[in-house]
Amino acid sequence: MSLLEESDALHARARAVITAFAGGRAMPEPFDALAVDVARFQARAVPGYARLCAARGADPAAFAHAGDAPAVPTDAFKVASVFAFAPSGARVVFRTSGTTVGARGTHAMRDAGTYDAAALAFGRATLARDMREPAVLVLGPSAAEAPDSSLAHMCSSFVDAFDPHPAGPAYFVHGGALDLDGLRARVAALAPSRPVLLLATSFALVHLLDAVGRERIALPAGSRVMQTGGFKGRSREVAPDELRRGVAEAFGVPEAAVAGEYGMTELSSQFWEAKLVDPAAPPATYVEPPWARVVPVDPVSLAPVEHGAIGIARIEDLANVDSAFAVVTQDRVRRVDRGFELLGRMPGAAPRGCSIAIDEMLSAKDAPS
Amino acid sequence: MRTTEERIADVRRLLAAAHAVHADRARIAPAIAASTELSPEGVELGFDSLEREATDAELRGLVAVAGDAPHVHVVLSANVFVAPLRALALARAASPSVSIRPSPRDPILTRALVVTARDPAIVLTDERGVSRIPPGEVHVYGRDATIAAVHAAVPSGVTVRGHGAGMGVAVVSHACDLQEAARALAGDVVAFDQRGCLSPRVAFVLGSSDRANVFARALGDALASWQERVPRGRLAGDELEAAARWRDVTPFAGSLHASPAYAVAVVPAFDAYLVPPPGRHVLVVPVPDAASAADLLAPLAQHVVAVGSDDPSTPAPPHARRSALGAMQRPPLDGPVDLRPSSGSVPRDA
Repeated sequence: MSLLEESDALHARARAVITAFAGGRAMPEPFDALAVDVARFQARAVPGYARLCAARGADPAAFAHAGDAPAVPTDAFKVASVFAFAPSGARVVFRTSGTTVGARGTHAMRDAGTYDAAALAFGRATLARDMREPAVLVLGPSAAEAPDSSLAHMCSSFVDAFDPHPAGPAYFVHGGALDLDGLRARVAALAPSRPVLLLATSFALVHLLDAVGRERIALPAGSRVMQTGGFKGRSREVAPDELRRGVAEAFGVPEAAVAGEYGMTELSSQFWEAKLVDPAAPPATYVEPPWARVVPVDPVSLAPVEHGAIGIARIEDLANVDSAFAVVTQDRVRRVDRGFELLGRMPGAAPRGCSIAIDEMLSAKDAPS
Repeated sequence: MRTTEERIADVRRLLAAAHAVHADRARIAPAIAASTELSPEGVELGFDSLEREATDAELRGLVAVAGDAPHVHVVLSANVFVAPLRALALARAASPSVSIRPSPRDPILTRALVVTARDPAIVLTDERGVSRIPPGEVHVYGRDATIAAVHAAVPSGVTVRGHGAGMGVAVVSHACDLQEAARALAGDVVAFDQRGCLSPRVAFVLGSSDRANVFARALGDALASWQERVPRGRLAGDELEAAARWRDVTPFAGSLHASPAYAVAVVPAFDAYLVPPPGRHVLVVPVPDAASAADLLAPLAQHVVAVGSDDPSTPAPPHARRSALGAMQRPPLDGPVDLRPSSGSVPRDA
């Protein structure tokens, strides 16, 4: 079997898992079985991953559990091709935001179908849960305007799937500028009985709040607002509670209807705030789909920490067939009963000398992406 | 106003104090090892970089760049443990009145120098605030954020001279002996466990990738040899995390020669994300010529404090200190270590 045929077979198995979830059926195979096969495939097809396995003394042939596969640091996507096919085979290329001195991370996909299936299945089960034919509005560019943005791709797929015949425009950022008048007009024209799913980045919401002041753009009853991502120097920083409160007031929705998404360019799956499926869940607690896991690990050894302890996020994503099944981030997380708690980055430690820290060097001048 | 000769004499008194402190270093070395978490051998090696001698010409240069101020307040925040001598020398050259706040983490050498110098013009202080300092200058040695915070807090009319963080870069010419260059560079890397702004973290090797690989292996061997004589000290949690992350990223870009105490990566193309963290880690990159190295460095030029090379004609960022490989940690006492414009004076009301 060629690498491409092997990839196709793994995509089919991953989609079978996603389809089973969407249909309310049991997973057709154990997580670990598919995880081990995906990781072994990547060790054969991604040269950098093969070298990482060798450097860590991990023999792919000996993988027995998902946790046996070394995780790929997200920075690897910035310095190398982390995909299991020739560059000419890429159908979709997502890129991270960049800096003036460092490369942008690249996540190329030969087959975005698995990404789309995963996003829709879990988005429908969480963000759009119990919503009937919502109008989907996006405080961001369309995928056509930002083809290298995984977030724009996901939002566009939600528009296409949940609101296939929109009664008006769906996107309210054009050329990097917020189209507030367009949003006001669109919301004013909505039927009061039709809930809205408003998808937005945190920094877009801050810009909106700054622009509207005390004005309210009231959404119909039953509407929800998705907020995702940090600020990355694109807006002033706002504390999560404050932003949530401000967004709820501006759109006339309960704070409980403002829900967070946790995702990243390097993944094919997303995580949603647990309160979408469990109203009793505390804020900043997220749930995973059955084809992905978030494992808190020790930041040095990368071994899992005890349940309830804080570690950095090792994310295992069966939908990442052609890139990295397991990635490791610098985000701190902690397992809780209903999922995992997202705690953000570790604040910078006091320096021990005058050598410049990489983060300081890279953030000296952030460039817009 | 003091004459140049008087200023040089004031600085020479500090050098004499440094000489005495160095001679008596066994008394304070254990405390420095504890505060810096360098190994005892690492502290001894670090003392080699403590300035104890300077020519008149060097000190005239120091006085010339030091300027003149009625008072200089020195804030040491993030620096290698021998940095207080040069900081004091610059301040004393500039002013008849100096106050100095040692680094809270690592105050030992500062205190030893001031006590030994017995210069009534120099006063130690633990005062963290800068809002009530007398007119003159504040010299800050620390992160950009620290410098900015001090600048925001000083009274009107006070000038802040910031000396920020940075890194060193090595350029290995076509002509040099790779084994010799690797041995020399390893010494620069090992000093202060690479936590200094002069510490080299990237080495551009002119020539083929094979040549870069030969150099990387030689550098790994040299670092292994240093590890036997001067063991690496304890890295802090965040340093270990950064090191682990770098070691896991580099296999995607190239190859890694590593042991628990050091690592050398060879990559075909430079990227800022591959610059290693301190802790005896070096990125080796082959380049066709020195101009290519300079081009690759251009986006990072503002962070490059030192360029070491066996070829004195090697292009370097305009404000980087140049030195031979093996001498990167011992710049002459002719001014601040950091010559970048960002370290120049910034009046509070500018």
